[in-house]
Amino acid sequence: MLLLTPILLVPLSVALLCLLVPSRRVMAALGVLAFATTLGLGIALLHEVLARGVVREWSEFLSADALSAWMVLLISVVSLATSLYAGRYFERDMAAGVITMGRVREFFVLTPLFGTGMFLVVLANNLGVMWAAVEGTALSSVLLVALYNRRNSLEAAWKYVILGSLGLALALLGTVFVYAAACKSHPDSLPSFNWSYLMSVARQLDPLQLKLAFVFVFVGYGTKAGFAPMHTWLPDAHSEAPSPTSAMLSGVSLKIALYALLRFHILTTACLDGGPDAGFSGHLLLGFGLFSMLLAPSFILVQRNLKRMLAYSSLEHMGLICTGIALNSPLTIFGALLHMGYHALTKPVLFFAAGNIHQTFHSLEFRVIGPGVGKVLPVTVVLMGLAALSAVGLPPFGLFFSELTIISGGLAAHQITVSVVILVALLASFCGILQQLTRILLGARKPGDHPTDARRSDGVPAMTLLLGSLLLFSVWLPAPLLELMHQAAAIIGGKP
Amino acid sequence: MHPPTTLEISSQVIPLMATLMLVVQLLLIAQRMLLTNIRLFAIQSLLLSGIAAVVAFNYNASHVYVVAVLTFIGKVVFLPWLLNRLVHRIQIHQDVEPLLNAPSSMLICAALTLLGYSVTRPFTSLEKLGNNTLAIALALLLTGFFLMINRRKALTQVLALLTVENGVMLAAVALTTYGMPLVVELGIFFDVMVAVMVLGILVYRIRENFDSMDTGKLDQLKG
Amino acid sequence: MNLDPLNFLGQTLALLLLAPLLSGCIKNWKAKLQNRRGPRPWQVYFDIAKFLRKDMVISEHASWVFSFAPYVVFLTALLAGLMVPMINAPAPLRLFGGVLAVVGLLALGRFFLALGGLDPASAFGGMGSSREMTISAIAEPAMMLAIFTVAITAGSTDLSQIAQSTQSATWKLLNPAHVLAFAAMFVVLLAETGRIPVDNPATHLELTMIHEAMLLEYSGRYLAFMEWGASIKQLVLMTLLVNVFFPVGLAGPQASVAALGISLAAYLAKLLALSAVVVVVETTNAKMRLFRVPDLLSTAFVLAALALLSTFLFQ
Repeated sequence: MLLLTPILLVPLSVALLCLLVPSRRVMAALGVLAFATTLGLGIALLHEVLARGVVREWSEFLSADALSAWMVLLISVVSLATSLYAGRYFERDMAAGVITMGRVREFFVLTPLFGTGMFLVVLANNLGVMWAAVEGTALSSVLLVALYNRRNSLEAAWKYVILGSLGLALALLGTVFVYAAACKSHPDSLPSFNWSYLMSVARQLDPLQLKLAFVFVFVGYGTKAGFAPMHTWLPDAHSEAPSPTSAMLSGVSLKIALYALLRFHILTTACLDGGPDAGFSGHLLLGFGLFSMLLAPSFILVQRNLKRMLAYSSLEHMGLICTGIALNSPLTIFGALLHMGYHALTKPVLFFAAGNIHQTFHSLEFRVIGPGVGKVLPVTVVLMGLAALSAVGLPPFGLFFSELTIISGGLAAHQITVSVVILVALLASFCGILQQLTRILLGARKPGDHPTDARRSDGVPAMTLLLGSLLLFSVWLPAPLLELMHQAAAIIGGKP
Repeated sequence: MHPPTTLEISSQVIPLMATLMLVVQLLLIAQRMLLTNIRLFAIQSLLLSGIAAVVAFNYNASHVYVVAVLTFIGKVVFLPWLLNRLVHRIQIHQDVEPLLNAPSSMLICAALTLLGYSVTRPFTSLEKLGNNTLAIALALLLTGFFLMINRRKALTQVLALLTVENGVMLAAVALTTYGMPLVVELGIFFDVMVAVMVLGILVYRIRENFDSMDTGKLDQLKG
Repeated sequence: MNLDPLNFLGQTLALLLLAPLLSGCIKNWKAKLQNRRGPRPWQVYFDIAKFLRKDMVISEHASWVFSFAPYVVFLTALLAGLMVPMINAPAPLRLFGGVLAVVGLLALGRFFLALGGLDPASAFGGMGSSREMTISAIAEPAMMLAIFTVAITAGSTDLSQIAQSTQSATWKLLNPAHVLAFAAMFVVLLAETGRIPVDNPATHLELTMIHEAMLLEYSGRYLAFMEWGASIKQLVLMTLLVNVFFPVGLAGPQASVAALGISLAAYLAKLLALSAVVVVVETTNAKMRLFRVPDLLSTAFVLAALALLSTFLFQ
């Protein structure tokens, strides 16, 4: 039975269908349906991968190993929650008159396309196709960022698309370099551009060429993944996009770029293994990961805008995931994968809550919305508070465990300095986020500043779905999921 | 004196066309009229398409012909047409004074070319046609980045992005024996077309909202 | 020392006699292209002869430099011309120097030209000199780089040897280094001979003139030598362009009379073709504002630099 093809085709056909459907409700329902289907398919894929190792379709054009399956699950969950939230969100926006039906349709067409692009990134075997898919996700999301057509959102979209495209041009150059290395080792034929093939001939590739290629790819996909100092588009795009899109950008899109980078990281490591430069790509990842982690807290502390602060928190988490992978011990890689999952369940809740706040106060500036948001939006604030506790890494939430795994893995691998740096950065952002959020969420409202329309408890289904599964998976990880992550960690660690 | 063979002539023509691509790039950097810039970009793409065609002819590689034809249709005919239309719609014909004046930008670009040369030295060989154009490809990439920084009009930045793309495609010809697999080429082609359309939509919307397409005005978001 | 007297004499005569004719031809063609009748091509000879017979008016502020300059300008151009192969490959004075000597002599000539403009302390002369120097400060490095590019390909700075080595690899004419260096040299030619995008040889409009401004105080014999020297310099530069970059038909060291005849015919044909291109460029372009000229010349400089770079780039 075909598994991978429907994962791509379902959201794609929903996107096309949404071009024709007249009603907003139907479009929202179709979105939910599409991603619920892919989630189901993703779970089936999980079992298939565990049973068969690698699932291939269309003569290896599509292929899914444990890492891909894990990413498919993340994309599906976040997109599903987004679709759930988006229906009511845009209903309110239209009622407030800030958006037209045409733009709403744009959202419901582009979001499944965005999802399709991300699915193609993780399922494509051919590295060139993977590049094209990453570019596709960038292009479909840029119009989503510009959805409100306000000055700031256009500015954010412009920065996003220009920086992203420049980065991706570099990534393409790196991809071409990798292919050229394959051509050089087999001069007479047109070699396959498949990742699986390149892995099988990794030892014969020219190390110098692969190193140069990795530098290009790193800067390229690293820009898309938002590593500092290429992160400048990230807070702009996250803060100006509609909240459902922010959730998808932060929840999965960044991780998809990281996934693309990881494929090259694995390949480069396999090629350089045992040579004088073994761990070249790992060092790059480590350096930029730590830099992102250290940079983020200071920006969190000075932020005056809720969603920008959340964006910097994403930068922090991406840095941590990257560092965990770079430490390259089975435990830290496992921790990083776990962190990806928990972060994908946490961050959208925060953005959804920020969306509710935005719609109530028509602003995201701290001085406008705070203090005492809790008096106006009690349900939202409770959920947001829980998610924030999770995001800063407090038990019993999963991010606490994954952070602990990474740090203890680092200590076990005798990376004392790195572990200490991680701990310091995490503590700093912990203080930053909690301090900022308590200031606006708690306390009494300023006199005379009480929005009349205060019965908003919208978006609760999406948020409780995510928070509930976060809590569930924090205390209990199903055995197949655990096994999948172990296999994925083994792929990244280079021990298939 | 022996009569030159096709291969010998090709090995002269390809570097020449690649160098002309760089010369066109320099003209783009010195030129401020948007319509002229678009025409220059079309000429540069035509040269790229020509290089692909010469390589395809020499190696009798049919799918490289496809690349040449796609480049011609997309970047020589379609995109210039699209951008021209955009220029007429937004009624802005000239870029403002760039950050650096023409002579100093030219010198910077010459230095960038030198940088490209020194980086690509280890990967340059004469084994195959066009392999030695890698330095030019990297120079196109770097000067494209420079063009992006040096200009402020949104449309010029789009053109800069496209020249960067041309540089990458030249690198693909320079580095590989028979170009890349067709599916990849098609994917890249499709992406570039969509990218320019998306950028065009954004340029139009920016023009509507700001009464300008000066990206210097996009400075609200900081920190 | 192998100084073939016949060669020496022939080339000197050719330089002296051909130069005014070429200037006349260009003037004539330009007029034709602009639908005017224009002066006859040999009018320049009459002009020079007339100037030689006339009395001179010399400013009372002028020093010896003023009277010295015309001879220097004339002689340096002539000497430089004798170092460039014209009709047969070993140029008469090749043993006295190659490319560097040619460039140096031309620079010396220009230096005295500028001094001659400054010396009588007229406002226009000083303005012309300062403009000339501004332009040559960019044009000269471009010329040096362009010639070095060919010199590197040939492995020698001797112009005769460069011409012969280019001749033996005709199909390498498509070499990017060659093409770019030629383009740079062409722009330099326009600048050095005061042609239209840079300077207008046919006007005495104070705002724009460069070369004519420096000659404004000269009259009589001095003016004749200045004009003659300028036309020889133009011929030298054009010879450099056609014979170094397209040495088709250039006769070798021990050539027969027939070969020399063919060489002469080829040389004249190439020269006329180049003049035609210059005429077309002059007619189709507008004169640039003075402050835009450095843009054009820096383009030439970058082209030359790219040419030099690409000799290494495409090895």
